[in-house]
Amino acid sequence: MRLEALAVALPEVAGHPNRVPFEGVLTLVDEASNRPPSGARGHRVILTRAAAIAALPSLLGMAVDYAPGWDGHDARRKCGIITQADVEGNRLEVSGYLFGKDFPEVEARLRDGEVDTMGMSYELADAHVADMNATVWSLTRATFTGAAILLREKAAYKGTSFRLGAKRCRTMGLAATARQERKPAERPGRILRHNHRQTEIGKEAQWR
Amino acid sequence: MEIEANNIFDKLNAAVTLLERTVASLEQREALTSGDVQRIVAAVEHGAEVSQREVELERKLAAAEDQIAELRAQAAKISASPRKTLPAATTQLLAKGGITSLESIEAGALDAALAGLSLEQRIAVKAQLIRAGTLA
Repeated sequence: MRLEALAVALPEVAGHPNRVPFEGVLTLVDEASNRPPSGARGHRVILTRAAAIAALPSLLGMAVDYAPGWDGHDARRKCGIITQADVEGNRLEVSGYLFGKDFPEVEARLRDGEVDTMGMSYELADAHVADMNATVWSLTRATFTGAAILLREKAAYKGTSFRLGAKRCRTMGLAATARQERKPAERPGRILRHNHRQTEIGKEAQWR
Repeated sequence: MEIEANNIFDKLNAAVTLLERTVASLEQREALTSGDVQRIVAAVEHGAEVSQREVELERKLAAAEDQIAELRAQAAKISASPRKTLPAATTQLLAKGGITSLESIEAGALDAALAGLSLEQRIAVKAQLIRAGTLA
C-alpha cells in the first residue's frame, strides 16, 4: 500500500470548544468520477495520483463548507478547516476540525443524520486536462481551493465519505490518533514544536 | 484628396475590426484546446443538462415499460389460446377416420383413425397434434 501524507500541526488545546474533529474521503485518485463534476463540461474526470500528491500542500489550511441543502458548495459558509491529507491506496483522505461552536446546526445535522449518507467534494482551480477531447478528462495538475460536506448522492464520486469524531478534540484529530497507533519506525517523525506551523511530507518508502 | 483619405481610413478601420475579431476567435480556440480549466467542483451540477438527461431517461424508461407490458400481454394471449391448426394432410387423414373436430379427441377414436398408418406415421401425426395443443 502506498501512502503520501501531509499535515499542518496546530497547538494543542485541551477541550477546545470550537474544534470538532472530522475525517473523510475527499476523492478517489486514478479513478473516474461517477458523474461529471460541475465545470467539467459534461465530462467525467480522473484526478491522477501524481496531480493529487502534488496538490496536497494546497489542500492544507483550506476550508470545508456546506450548502443549506447539503447538495453542493457554498464558499461563504466555511464551517471547518483541513489540517491533514493523505493519499492512501486510491483514497485521498482528509481530516481536520469543524467549527462546532460557530456552526452548532451543522454539527447537529452531521451527528444526528443517517449513517453513511454524507460525502465530500473538492474544489479545484487552475486544473490542467491532458486531453480536452477525451471522454473522461484526466487532470494532471490542479490546486485545491476548498472542499464541501454534502450528501454522498450529490457528490461526483460515490466513494467519498465524511464523519465527525469525538465531541471535542485535543490536537490533530482522528488521523492523529490513527498515526500514533503505528509503530514509530513506520511513520514519519512527529511534528512536536507547538505554536509553529509546520508541514511534513511523508516519506513514501517508510509508509508502505 | 479628402475623399481618398476617408476611404483609406475606412479600410484601415475595417482591417482593425477584422484583426480584433480574429484575435478574439484565436484566444477562444486556445482556451478550448489548451486544457486549462479555471474551476472544477466535484459536486453534481444542478442545471438544464441534468434535468434534460433525466427527462430523456424517463421517456426511454416509459417506452421500455410499455413494450414489456405489450410483450407480456401477447405471451399471455398465446398461452391462453394455443394454436389449433394442423397440416391439411393430417386434417384430411383424421377426417377419413371420423375425427372432424380438434376440440375433443378421444384416445380410442384417434387410434382407430390412425390404424391404417405405419408406426412412424402415427408418431408423426400425434406429434403434430401435441404441437397444436390438441393432445396433452
